[in-house]
Amino acid sequence: MPVTDKEVALSERIEAFLAELKRGGSGAGTLRGSGETARETTALLRRITGQAQWSSAGDLMEIIRKEGRRMMATQPSETTVGNMVRRVLKIIREEYARLRGSSEVTDQQESLHQLLTSGGLSEENFGQHFKDLRANVIEAINELLTELEATTDHIAMQALEHIHSNEVIMTIGRSRTVEAFLKDAALKRKFHVIVAECAPFCQGHEMATSLSEAGIETTVIADAAIFAVMSRVNKVIIGTQTVLANGGLRAVNGTHTLALAARHHSTPLIVCAPMFKLSPQFHNEEDTFHKFVSPHEVLPFTEGEILSKVNVYCPVFDYVPPELITLFISNIGGNAPSYTYRLMSELYHPEDHEL
Amino acid sequence: MNHLVKYFRTQISQDPDVASAAAAIRSLLEFLKRDQSETLLGLRENLTEAIRRLGEADSSVAVSSGGELFLRFITLTSLEHLDFSQSKNLLVERGELFLNKISLSRNKVAKLCHTFIKDGAKILTHSSSRVVLKVLENAAADKKRFSVYVTESQPDSAGKLMAEKLRRLNIPVTVILDAAVGYIMEKVNLVIVGAEGVVESGGIINKIGTYQLAVCSKAHNKPFYVVAESFKFVRLFPLNQQDVPAQFKYKADILKTAEDLDKEHPMIDYTPPSLITLLFTDLGVLTPSAVSDELIKIYL
Repeated sequence: MPVTDKEVALSERIEAFLAELKRGGSGAGTLRGSGETARETTALLRRITGQAQWSSAGDLMEIIRKEGRRMMATQPSETTVGNMVRRVLKIIREEYARLRGSSEVTDQQESLHQLLTSGGLSEENFGQHFKDLRANVIEAINELLTELEATTDHIAMQALEHIHSNEVIMTIGRSRTVEAFLKDAALKRKFHVIVAECAPFCQGHEMATSLSEAGIETTVIADAAIFAVMSRVNKVIIGTQTVLANGGLRAVNGTHTLALAARHHSTPLIVCAPMFKLSPQFHNEEDTFHKFVSPHEVLPFTEGEILSKVNVYCPVFDYVPPELITLFISNIGGNAPSYTYRLMSELYHPEDHEL
Repeated sequence: MNHLVKYFRTQISQDPDVASAAAAIRSLLEFLKRDQSETLLGLRENLTEAIRRLGEADSSVAVSSGGELFLRFITLTSLEHLDFSQSKNLLVERGELFLNKISLSRNKVAKLCHTFIKDGAKILTHSSSRVVLKVLENAAADKKRFSVYVTESQPDSAGKLMAEKLRRLNIPVTVILDAAVGYIMEKVNLVIVGAEGVVESGGIINKIGTYQLAVCSKAHNKPFYVVAESFKFVRLFPLNQQDVPAQFKYKADILKTAEDLDKEHPMIDYTPPSLITLLFTDLGVLTPSAVSDELIKIYL
């Protein structure tokens, strides 16, 4: 097949994106936030939909799945990439079903009901060609992009319901979502924030600087002091890297400690996480759940003698079980952790859980 | 009617690996094929009687849930056609399809669950469950190294049977006393049990001793996983142990002959959803709160 200029440009864009993913990633000490990653992934998927050669929904889904797998393999800990791919796949299924005139896309979902009533039509091969499909899918992806741009604002809008005057709020590390959340509440209320510095990258320092510039009284504490200070805290508000399918979190290291301390003092733990962070994975993935970075931050290479006798690890993430979380605040509102399964079934199709 | 019970028993004896709910549904399908009623109401009445008879032969929750599901299936399918004889053919056809699908469900469950077993894991299980066996089989085939503790599970020592089957798969297994669950719990990494029935609240009904296991694993913070096919979902909502209907607690012959049920030993107990970490079903990996959603979708 002759390679057109458009295709060359497209694959160049994809390669550039993959290179950035590999270099940047999300997590400790990087420039790129997961919101930007989500937006760029979706924009890239829109470009693929517009420019790649495909004739039926099945072909498009195959192309997107292939590219999605490549992107996920580059940086497995960056789950927003996979989540966006799954959202787009669901969009394609919905648009296809709408064009075909099927009454409900939910017919395709596995359920006891479907087991009993379907007449063996479980093989849906998406082979039919519709000329409107391309335009419809691109339009739907544009809607998704608008939603993504507004997520932080939607979350911040809910701040006044949860933060009251003269409260002491604790947070850990640096989360752009929580920052916007607290700044929005600070416009109308006066409260105090305690930030745990989150060693070894100490992003809590940047968070504290940013919050105090907005006029919020902030205190920075060491991670070891979390339990000691917890008795004076009214609420704990944190961000997270990923929300897992069981309602648990994959958050920055130190969050589990914070959650346990909060549970011990019966302090509510609120997680501000936009919907694009919801991932259909569980924490059983041995190879991809944890990410380790250079242990230089924990024990510098200059400590030569000790290095040969000790194993040093610097994990980036923590698993927080759903029992320790009180509430999830996302761009679509507040939800209990036990409701996560429902949100997931609305966002993703079960067959796309494994790309 | 007697043919029905005989057919059911033959099914179970011919293929000991088949789930009792699946055997019940197959027997009911046979009954449906031979039934002579002219109207839907007549058919439903005959089927209800047939299900009751099956329940007398085997009083487990699984048979009851299989029967209810089949009845629901009849209602949903026959609503699509007004002519009864057309409906009947469609029913038989769909019934066969349904049976095919549920025979695959155990494999689906095993595929989902075995990834949660890590290398070097020590697994604790209770009594003998064919689904748990399949899960462990899959994990072993995936070249994972793990060892299993099985409770003896009195009064029928079903645990020893399970241990035998596991030994044949070359999985290191130890049989422990039912009373030793608390003792062994600190060594164990995860607990996997099967279920005879999954109730609306997301809790399970399983062999007596499961509740104890669940309470113990919660106290030690070990994950408690349940593996069950979706046809075991049953429309019960017990609030405590006494709420479970007596017909499920005791074996069928005891129900008929016993004078005072309070003096008999129950064969099953109820484990509330707060003690269960995750449920692995052929509909996916569910948290206990997701189970009632599934049940609502089918029954309401």
